[in-house]
Amino acid sequence: MKKLFGNSALFCVLAIFLKPALNGTPAGDAGKNDILIAAMQQELHRAQGDLGKLDPAPYFISYSVYDQDSAMVVGSQGSLINSIHARRRSADVIVRVGTAALDNTHEENRGSALTSGSLPLDDDSDAIAHVLWQLTYGEYRKASQAYLNVKTTTQVHAQEEDTSPDFSQETAQSHADYDDLSPAPDPQKLEEIARRYSAYFRKYPYIYASNVVLSAQRMRSRFVSTEGSHVVSTGAWVRLAIEAETRADDGMELMRFETFQAENPSHLPAEAEITARMEKMASDLKALRAAPVAEPFDGPALLSGRAAAVFFHEVLGHRLEGHRQRGEQEGQTFTKKVNQQVLPEFLSVTDDPTARTLNGMDLGGWYEYDEEGMPAVRVEVIKDGILKSFLMSRMPIKDFDKSNGHGRAQAGLMVTGRQGNLIVTSSRTTKDSELRQKLIDEIKKQGKPYGLYFEDIQGGFTLTQRAMPQSFQILPVLVWRVYPDGRPDELVRGVDIVGTPLAAMNRIVLTGEKIEVFNGMCGAESGSVPVSAAAPAMLFSEIEVQKRAHSLNRPPILPPPGFDATETKVGGRP
Amino acid sequence: MSTMQWSPSARMQKLAKVVALLIALLFASTSVQAKDTQTPADDDPVLQAMRAELERSKSALKLEGMAPPYYIDYHVTDMDTHAAEAAFGALRTDVRLRFRFLRVVVRVGDYKQDSFFGQGQGGLDFMPLDNDIVALRHEIWLATDSAYKAATEALTAKQAKLKQFSVDQPVDDFAHAEPVVSIGPAAKLDFDSQPWLKMLQDASALYKTDPQIEAFDSALNFAAVTRYFVSSEGAVVRSGQNVYDLRIAGTTQASDGMRLDRSHSYAVTDIKELPSEEKLLADATRMLATLKELRDAPVADEEYRGPVLFSADAASTVFSDLVGENVLGLKPELGQPARTKGAFAASYKSRVLPDFLSVVDDPTLASTNGRSLMGKYDVDDEGVKAVSVSVIENGKLVNYLIGREPIRDFPASNGHGRARLPQNNPGPTLGNMIVRSSETSSPEELKKKLIEICQQRELPYGYYVETLGPQRVPRLIYKVWTKDGHEELVRGATFGDLDTRTLRNDLIAAGNDVNVENHPLNIPHSIVNPSVLFDELEVKRANANKDKLPDYPAPAVASK
Repeated sequence: MKKLFGNSALFCVLAIFLKPALNGTPAGDAGKNDILIAAMQQELHRAQGDLGKLDPAPYFISYSVYDQDSAMVVGSQGSLINSIHARRRSADVIVRVGTAALDNTHEENRGSALTSGSLPLDDDSDAIAHVLWQLTYGEYRKASQAYLNVKTTTQVHAQEEDTSPDFSQETAQSHADYDDLSPAPDPQKLEEIARRYSAYFRKYPYIYASNVVLSAQRMRSRFVSTEGSHVVSTGAWVRLAIEAETRADDGMELMRFETFQAENPSHLPAEAEITARMEKMASDLKALRAAPVAEPFDGPALLSGRAAAVFFHEVLGHRLEGHRQRGEQEGQTFTKKVNQQVLPEFLSVTDDPTARTLNGMDLGGWYEYDEEGMPAVRVEVIKDGILKSFLMSRMPIKDFDKSNGHGRAQAGLMVTGRQGNLIVTSSRTTKDSELRQKLIDEIKKQGKPYGLYFEDIQGGFTLTQRAMPQSFQILPVLVWRVYPDGRPDELVRGVDIVGTPLAAMNRIVLTGEKIEVFNGMCGAESGSVPVSAAAPAMLFSEIEVQKRAHSLNRPPILPPPGFDATETKVGGRP
Repeated sequence: MSTMQWSPSARMQKLAKVVALLIALLFASTSVQAKDTQTPADDDPVLQAMRAELERSKSALKLEGMAPPYYIDYHVTDMDTHAAEAAFGALRTDVRLRFRFLRVVVRVGDYKQDSFFGQGQGGLDFMPLDNDIVALRHEIWLATDSAYKAATEALTAKQAKLKQFSVDQPVDDFAHAEPVVSIGPAAKLDFDSQPWLKMLQDASALYKTDPQIEAFDSALNFAAVTRYFVSSEGAVVRSGQNVYDLRIAGTTQASDGMRLDRSHSYAVTDIKELPSEEKLLADATRMLATLKELRDAPVADEEYRGPVLFSADAASTVFSDLVGENVLGLKPELGQPARTKGAFAASYKSRVLPDFLSVVDDPTLASTNGRSLMGKYDVDDEGVKAVSVSVIENGKLVNYLIGREPIRDFPASNGHGRARLPQNNPGPTLGNMIVRSSETSSPEELKKKLIEICQQRELPYGYYVETLGPQRVPRLIYKVWTKDGHEELVRGATFGDLDTRTLRNDLIAAGNDVNVENHPLNIPHSIVNPSVLFDELEVKRANANKDKLPDYPAPAVASK
């Protein structure tokens, strides 16, 4: 199950907590005198020499060290809730035993190739070497044990459908980028913003819970392998996430999200733009409380660019990840559809992690090298509706034996093929201003009483395993009924888009021109990674929606403090 | 599938659980110590916000057609913590974190039977860190509303579940208690971290003295915890505690692969009581030496049955596990007829220790034998005044430690209801557990007695245990040879029958020495006890997990 979050306090807090962390700035800025990478190389060389004499011997070892400087600040009602500033250095040691054709990572044993731990924060070569040594001999034991199991299992089980090797042959990479993309996160500044913005919702008694979450991370990754690769790369992001919630009288929880993400704090929008969006969040919530509950519906619908982008990320993107094409448990929706039509012929899809911006916005899925030390590559996955390729890590699949730089993971987890910047383009477009009319035309054509316009969504999830239905769910937050008879659009609440992937995507009839971007964190087997999805608005001839399950709890019994006419004032509202 | 849905309340709860778990793992807590000039209680914005919302909820919180709450309490825990860890001479972790947590309990029903069950036991939320009354009240308001709704549903669920059982001697759900007003100073965490971080690095750098050491770590967890409590009965409490915990730990392997661990914790309530760098390094050096001795020590014999002498340090673990856990008056699960959950459930007014031993739990005691006690508090986490409780008198169990959840024959709290930080509900907990003996001998006399018993039974040696690790497994245990009294370190020994029965029947003497052990983890408490001699215990060779030795040697150390 994968999820794309527009934003979330939980997710960010979890991410930081699960990787307990520390303060300062990533060290080793002088590339020529990088003590850390020298210690990594020396210890790697020693491990290769000593473990190479054993049976079974490793045929591949790599060390990745992630030097992260991160801050996370949460504000609510004008006060700070959390402020965490942490620096951490973590090492992932990968050992592959056996041969590239069959090794300890085979099938369910992928986790056996990786052991991770915390490294010293300072460039103390002795201490770094000792920790790497501990991690390496521990990892070698795990890997060699798993390899024995793999050998037995492959002999006992029937031959697998995809007989690709377990590891691709690639040329060694050398790259050293020590440039800082962004200043070190400044917790005090973030705290000030969190307080200021979160106080904004104090004046709305109907907004019960609200949060402003600011997170910033700067990371330097170092990768060395026994193949001779040596890659140093940097990354940075800052994210402002605002959420506000209310509750309808029937207990339905209603929420609005806004996120702003950039590589550098100076790329975030100006305060005026942000407060205008918060104003709209408040008015949307007020309107949603009064809005009728949507009925199950099957008919024409228009998705905004951002909604369409999340739709493609969930419904299509995850199913194009390379490793899903050979897993014996995977649904493999597209595995055998290479060179076949999978989308309407006017649509093309690329995943381009080398794109840093689009329409003036920073893209969250930008990177130069993936977590296997492979250079990022723009991949044309679907060309004119025809499936051409998959998003490949170094795990080969039938007919695709090389990585295309999409091996991604959160520190501490084993890489899989993942999305970076998924960009949908169209050759059958109409002016965005005419899309609503096209929707009305479609409603009339089908003789439906109304159609739906999905203005914004909070995220979604999808199932790709065989044991579960091949389905997805998108969680819209702003949905309008559009009537063909000239009545004004009507906001509705409690809608989920549901469906099965192939059927849904072939109902797209037309798109807008402007490409919109959705930046978010995507969670899957290899952890949480920043991604972007970009798409134009899309008109669907048919979309199925269901009623959303919701809490039955009433809105709060008492008015919020400060809005209670009967009480004496203690710490009144501004 | 629904679990993946985006529900804000579920999210906050999940978040809180995760944070709480991590806090519990990372940090200890508490004890009194704070010198700053404090805001008088009336000006404390946290208490002001709590009292304002409590008043509003008391007077107006009610769902139409449903019973209003009969009891509400708010518990705010403010934790300021610093955690750091060094390994191989280098710092790996250095984090300062501050959190405020809010627990709201709303009870509907009455003292006899109420909603404290399942989701009616209250939840945990983050509380704003700033002393902004509007923001503080806002959070309390939301938490109270959902706690009340949850309580209303929980009472119905509890009543349905109770219909499955027939209860002979019903016990009230909640004890009446005199509301306490006690405004103590808030705790502050104010120290210069640099010298401590240097100490951690210097201590862990001693791994360089022994190439066969596989890991040598040092860590500190310093915390200032301020608790705020108000209840609809009128209790208003603020109390601050500091805990300073410094640890060192090392691991090596014997040539046969047996894993050997040593660790030591210095847990105190006043930073001045922590060891100096000189002392820490000396202790660390001694620890490394014992690890080396252990590596070279012979393995314990397969079988031994005879006298065993426990140092006061080793006995501390025995009393903590076998007495401390069992004197808690924990109410059994719904419908279970037992008096408590522990091994002493059916031991009320029976002998549980030899008649020369008595046990009191005295949370009012701040220090003993020149050591500060971590289990000191004035008011427990249920707003009840701390009381010294005599639990075992001359070997006989006469009382339990009780919180506000009564057990059979014990209808009232004796001020021992405390909460694990910050996630758990309060329940009966140790404060300062003190084991006293009416007859004592010096440690030398005890050793003599050990040898005498060996002579009588023609045993070539007896055992002396210096310190125990987790699960009461000896870390340092010596053979004491009958012929000349010399001590020989052995490794890989474990006890066959060290339990509440042998404690009652085979413990024959106690020393006049005292060990004070402060336990910062979970709920801060202290154990005070003498050394003890067992007439007969089984000591056998442990079925120890023998790992392989590292597949290749440690890297050579470049800098000494």
